[in-house]
Amino acid sequence: MFTHNLKYSLKILFKNKTLIFWTFAFPIILGVFFYLAFSNIEKTETFSSIPIAVIENDTWNNSLTYKETIKVLSDKNNEDRIFKTTYIKTEKEGQKLLNEDNIVGYLIIDDTPKIIIKKNGTSETIFKQVIDEIQEKEKTIENLVQIEISKNKEENIEMIYNQVITKVMNLSIEENIKDVSSSKLSYVVIEYYTLIAMSCLYSGTLAMCMVNKCLANMSSNGKRVSVSSISKGKLILGSLISSYIAAIIGLALLLIFTTLILKVDFGSHFALIILLSLVGTLSGLSLGTFTSVICKSNENTKIGIIIAITMLGCFLSGMMGITMKYIIDKNVPIINKINPASMITDGFYSLYYYEGLERYIFNIISLLIFSFILLFISYLNLRRQSYDSI
Amino acid sequence: MTVFKAYIKVLLKSKFTILLYTVMLVVFGILNMQMNDTGMNYTSSKADVLIINDDENKGVTKSLIDYISSNSNIIEIENDKEKISDALFYRDVNFIINIPKNFRTDFLEGKNPQIEIQRTNDYPSYLAYNLLSKYIETAGYYLEFINDENQIIKNTEETLKTNTNVEISSKLDNDGLSKAKTFFNFSNYTMLSGCIFIICLLMTVFNNEKISKRTIISSTNYKALNRKLMISNGLFAITLWLIYVILSFIILRKQMLSFHGLLYIINLFVFTLTTLSISFLLGKITNNKEAINGMVNVIALGSSFLCGSFVPIEYLPKFVVNIAHLLPSYWFIISNGKISTLESFNFETLKPILFNMTILIIFIIIFTIISNIITKYKRKIA
Repeated sequence: MFTHNLKYSLKILFKNKTLIFWTFAFPIILGVFFYLAFSNIEKTETFSSIPIAVIENDTWNNSLTYKETIKVLSDKNNEDRIFKTTYIKTEKEGQKLLNEDNIVGYLIIDDTPKIIIKKNGTSETIFKQVIDEIQEKEKTIENLVQIEISKNKEENIEMIYNQVITKVMNLSIEENIKDVSSSKLSYVVIEYYTLIAMSCLYSGTLAMCMVNKCLANMSSNGKRVSVSSISKGKLILGSLISSYIAAIIGLALLLIFTTLILKVDFGSHFALIILLSLVGTLSGLSLGTFTSVICKSNENTKIGIIIAITMLGCFLSGMMGITMKYIIDKNVPIINKINPASMITDGFYSLYYYEGLERYIFNIISLLIFSFILLFISYLNLRRQSYDSI
Repeated sequence: MTVFKAYIKVLLKSKFTILLYTVMLVVFGILNMQMNDTGMNYTSSKADVLIINDDENKGVTKSLIDYISSNSNIIEIENDKEKISDALFYRDVNFIINIPKNFRTDFLEGKNPQIEIQRTNDYPSYLAYNLLSKYIETAGYYLEFINDENQIIKNTEETLKTNTNVEISSKLDNDGLSKAKTFFNFSNYTMLSGCIFIICLLMTVFNNEKISKRTIISSTNYKALNRKLMISNGLFAITLWLIYVILSFIILRKQMLSFHGLLYIINLFVFTLTTLSISFLLGKITNNKEAINGMVNVIALGSSFLCGSFVPIEYLPKFVVNIAHLLPSYWFIISNGKISTLESFNFETLKPILFNMTILIIFIIIFTIISNIITKYKRKIA
C-alpha cells in the first residue's frame, strides 16, 4: 500500500504542470537572468585604468616630473597602470571628451596643476590623489634638500640634491604593507545561494499539494481516503516522501545547472553542499506541511502564503539586494536566525568563505530544529483527526 | 460604454488582488531606492576603512590614523574576526588596516614593521591603499634624514596637505538626477508586472469561452471591441502611471520640479502605453490564469534584468546589451540615462530621446496589429 501510494503521488506531482514550472523551471530561468545581469558587475567594479586627458601646453612640455609620471602610470605594460591617457591640445577638446563621458577629467598645468571633472566620484578622487601625490613628492624632495643644506652648509647644492634623489629612489614601501585579503570575495555568489534557498522553500508547495489530497476538509480525494481503511500515517508519510523525492530532483537539476553551466563557486566541500541541500529541502517540505495543516483555507491561499513566506525570507537573506542580509545580520540578527532562507544562504556562504565549519554546522542544526518543530506541530494537529460530518 | 461598464465591474470584483499587487510593487520600488543608497551602484569619493590598532595611539601611529581618518569614512566594527570578515565580504568596509604592536618604535628604529591589510579590490579600496602607502612612504623619506619623531610627523603632515585645484564642470545636480534615474528605471519592472498581471487577469473574463461567443455573434465589430477594451485597459494603466508619478514627487521632490522631471514623466508615459499594448497582446494569447503568473514573472523580471532596470546598463556584458535592443524596455531605460545627463534643452540634445520614443511607438503599433490579427484568427476557429 505504501509503495502504491508513493508511486501514484509521484505521478500526480509530475503531471501538475504549474507546480513543476515553479519548482523546476522558474529557479533555473531566474538563475539565467542573474547570470546575464551579474556576470560582469564585479569585473567593472574591480580597479582598471581610469580614462583621463592631459592638455599639452608649454608648461606641460617643460615639466619633466608630470610628463614622466603620467607616462609611466599610463604605460600599457606597467602592472600598476592607473590611467588611460589621451593627449589633447585645447581645453575645448577636453570639455568635449568630458561631456561625451569618454574621460573622467582632464589636467591643465599652468602655474599650478588644475583638474577639471564632471562630477564627484571615486575615479575622479583617484585622479586628484595621483596629481596630489606628484606635488607631494616634489615638496618632500625640496624639504629634504633644505634639511640637508641646513645640516652641512659648505657642500654644493646640486650634489646634495642628487644625493637626496638617489636615497629616496632606493626606498621602497612594498615590504611595509602586506596584503592578506581572502581571494574569495565575490559577493555575487550570494544571489545564487538565495536562489537555491528559494528553490528549497518552494518545494513546500509540493508537500502542501500532496498533503491536501489526504485531508478530508480539503479535497474530495481526501474525503474518500479518510473513509478508507488504510493507515493515515503511512499515507501521509508516502505523500511526503514522494514530494521530497520530486523536490530533490528539482534541486539537483538547479545545482547541476548552477555549478556546471553558470560556474558558480560553492566552495570545495561537495558532500556538505549536498547535505545542506537535503536539509534545506526538508525545511521547505515541513513549511509546506505546516501551512497545509494549520491554515484552513483553499489551496490558492495556501500557495500564496508559502510563496509570500519564501519571497520575504529570500528578500531578507539578500536576493533583491545582497547588502540586505548583512544589514539584518548586523542589526536584528534574531530575524535571520529563524528565517530558513537565511539559514540556507548562510550555510552556503560559510562553506564558500570560511575555513572552519562551526558556522555551517550551526546552520544545519538550526534548519533541523526548524523542520522538526514544524513537523511536530503538524503531527499533533493531524493526529486522530476525525469528522462526524463534513 | 457597455464594454467599459462591464470592464469596471470585473475590475471592482478583483479589487483586493489589484490593490495588494500595486502596493507590493510600489513598496519594492521605494525599498529599491533606499537600498541603492548603500548598494553596489553608489560611488563614494571616500573609502570605508576599518583600522585595527594593536599599537599605542601615540606619535607616528596616531598621526597615521588621523591622516587616514580625515580622508576616509571610518567604520567601527566590534573586534571579532567573523564580524570583520563579514563586513569585508558585504562591502561594509573596503579596506582593513591592521597596525601591529610596537609599530611606532619599530618604524622609528627603521625596522620596517609590516602593516597587514585586507581589501575588496574595487575603486574605493584603491583610494584607501593609496592613502596608506603615501603616508608610510613620505614618513619613511623624512625618517631617513631626520631623527626627531615630532619633526617627522610635522613634515609629513605638512607635505600631505597638498590639495590640487579641482573644478567641477557640470552644473547639474548629478546625485539627485541619477537617483531619479534609478527610480524610473525600476518602474520598468513595476509597470510591466503590474500591467501584464492585472490586464491579463481582467482579459481572461472577456476571453471566457461563453462570453466571447456571445460577443462574436453580436453586431459589434471585433476591432471596435478591441479598441474599447484597449481604452478601458489604458485608463487602468494610466492610473498606475499617475500613482508612480505622484510617488516620484513625494520621494524626489526637487528633481521632479524641473524640465528633467517632466521628461522622465513623459518617457514613462510612452513606456506605459507600450506595456499596455504588450499586456493586451498577452491577454489575447492566453486564457490560463496560472500561465499568466508564470509569464508575468518571466517577462517582467527578464526584461528588467536584461535591459538594465536592476543593474545599471554599463555593468551588463556586451552580448546582453545587444539582445536587449530587441526589447522595448531597453529604449525606455537608455532614454532615462540620457535625460539624467542632459545639460541643455534644444532639438539637438533631445533628438536621441525622441528617437527612442519613436521606437517605443513603433513597438506599440506592432503589438496592436498582432493582437488584432490574433483576435481575428481566434474568432474564426471559435
